[in-house]
Amino acid sequence: MAATQANPDVAVKPDQALTPGVDDRLRTPRAKRANRWGLGRLIGPLLVLIAWAAVTWGGLVDSSVLPSPSEVGAAAGRLLAAGTLQQHLLISLSRAMIGLGIGVVAGTGLALVAGLFRWGENLVDANMQMARAMPILALVPLAIVWLGIGEEVKIFLVALGVTFPMYLNTHAAIRAVDARYLDLGRTLGLSRLELIRTVVLPGALPGFFTGLRFAASVCWLVLVVSEQINASSGIGYLMTQARGISATDVIVVGLIVYALLGLLSDTLVRFLEGKALAWRSTFQYR
Amino acid sequence: MALHVSVPLTTDRAAAPAPEQPVVAELAGVSRAFDGRGVLFDIDLQIHRGEFVALLGRSGSGKSTLLRILARLDADFTGTLTGPQLPSVAFQDSRLLPWRRVLANITLGLRGTDSLTHARELLAEVGLADHERAWPKTLSGGEAQRAALARALARKPELLLMDEPFGALDALTRIRMHQLVRRLCDRYRPGVLLVTHDVDEAILLADRVIVLTEGRFSLDQRIDLPHSGRRHLPEFVQLRGRLLSELGVVDDDQ
Repeated sequence: MAATQANPDVAVKPDQALTPGVDDRLRTPRAKRANRWGLGRLIGPLLVLIAWAAVTWGGLVDSSVLPSPSEVGAAAGRLLAAGTLQQHLLISLSRAMIGLGIGVVAGTGLALVAGLFRWGENLVDANMQMARAMPILALVPLAIVWLGIGEEVKIFLVALGVTFPMYLNTHAAIRAVDARYLDLGRTLGLSRLELIRTVVLPGALPGFFTGLRFAASVCWLVLVVSEQINASSGIGYLMTQARGISATDVIVVGLIVYALLGLLSDTLVRFLEGKALAWRSTFQYR
Repeated sequence: MALHVSVPLTTDRAAAPAPEQPVVAELAGVSRAFDGRGVLFDIDLQIHRGEFVALLGRSGSGKSTLLRILARLDADFTGTLTGPQLPSVAFQDSRLLPWRRVLANITLGLRGTDSLTHARELLAEVGLADHERAWPKTLSGGEAQRAALARALARKPELLLMDEPFGALDALTRIRMHQLVRRLCDRYRPGVLLVTHDVDEAILLADRVIVLTEGRFSLDQRIDLPHSGRRHLPEFVQLRGRLLSELGVVDDDQ
């Protein structure tokens, strides 16, 4: 459950992007050029796919334990043809997006209150720092008692899980805005509101996006679990149902769908980040 | 203008004859202490319109503290400060906001309908007309400092404060910046306080050099020399030696 809590190291240094693997800036220009095509990145997953096919087709692993790629493909085709996959996917997607939306607004709002006002800092920050130590999924029993097993509880859990990384990263970024820029703003005669608008908020934007990337992965994580515990729809429900009849092929389809959703949301956040932080990327990737 | 004006190298603190221009900033009996440790002691200073004052001092002498007081970034001093509410400041780092394009940095905080035109004029004047839309991080160190200078002057300041603005630049860029600063100051005539620890820079640019030693002015010297060719005058060498020894350095060139 470590992923529900934003890594404080990352929060302190929003400039250090959460890029897996080697930092691009450490690469030689030639390696960077090669990487731009992204083909090299596909070698690893391709090898895994080949190994998967080899052990399942070779009969090393029984298909009731791990179905072969073709069986999984067939299962996916079946689910798609029946419309089941789309139906559950849409439900999961809407839960995730609503929860994410609420959590992003709540986390960012709290970060602004705590970051911009002294009373806010006193009121909010100590509570948030304490609450972040609590694993979100430990709240599931209580959440069920409070909200039942309907849509509310799933959205509530996702929103809560998203709130913390949003809060922690955005708050840390607001706090870390360079005091020299604030000095400059004062010598330019900026009012407090103008300082916030032109210096504090843009300066904290990288931290906001770091939080958003965490949030995008946390929201799927929390959704998976809450859909498997108490649901009658959604990808997680589809997988739980499949477990009951030992349909491992459907379970693997669910896993792949979750992986694709995670990948998709991460790509989307990166795209938005690149647009919003163009001033920074021109420096990093030139 | 006469080429060989004698430089009276006297030590009396109030030696500088006041120019015929109004005072734009005045410190009277200003002291500043941090946690009981005194940094500035009973400072009196008048800066006139169009006057270029260089403030020299070793690190820790209190020169940056003095500048911050004049910039109204530090209000915890005793004594009185009379001067503009918003003097322009050029810092050692260009301090351009990285998330605003160059032109948007210049216009930041500017009011009035002609501010955009004026900002463009100044950018052109510092040779950055082509960089209006550039992100600050794509500028070289010299370009960034020029943009910062344009930002400072776009406010039409009565008082321009510069805190070692050329300290981080390479030698060639620094020479070009000196010429540019001198030209701009001649044109816009603000009162200038340049904080530096570069003795040559101080003598080359200033009308008046002040040395700050342990929180007190230990020398206040007018320089009535023509700006062009100043470096080659015997008075330059003389004053240079004098200032260096005031700063506790023995000049081997003498």
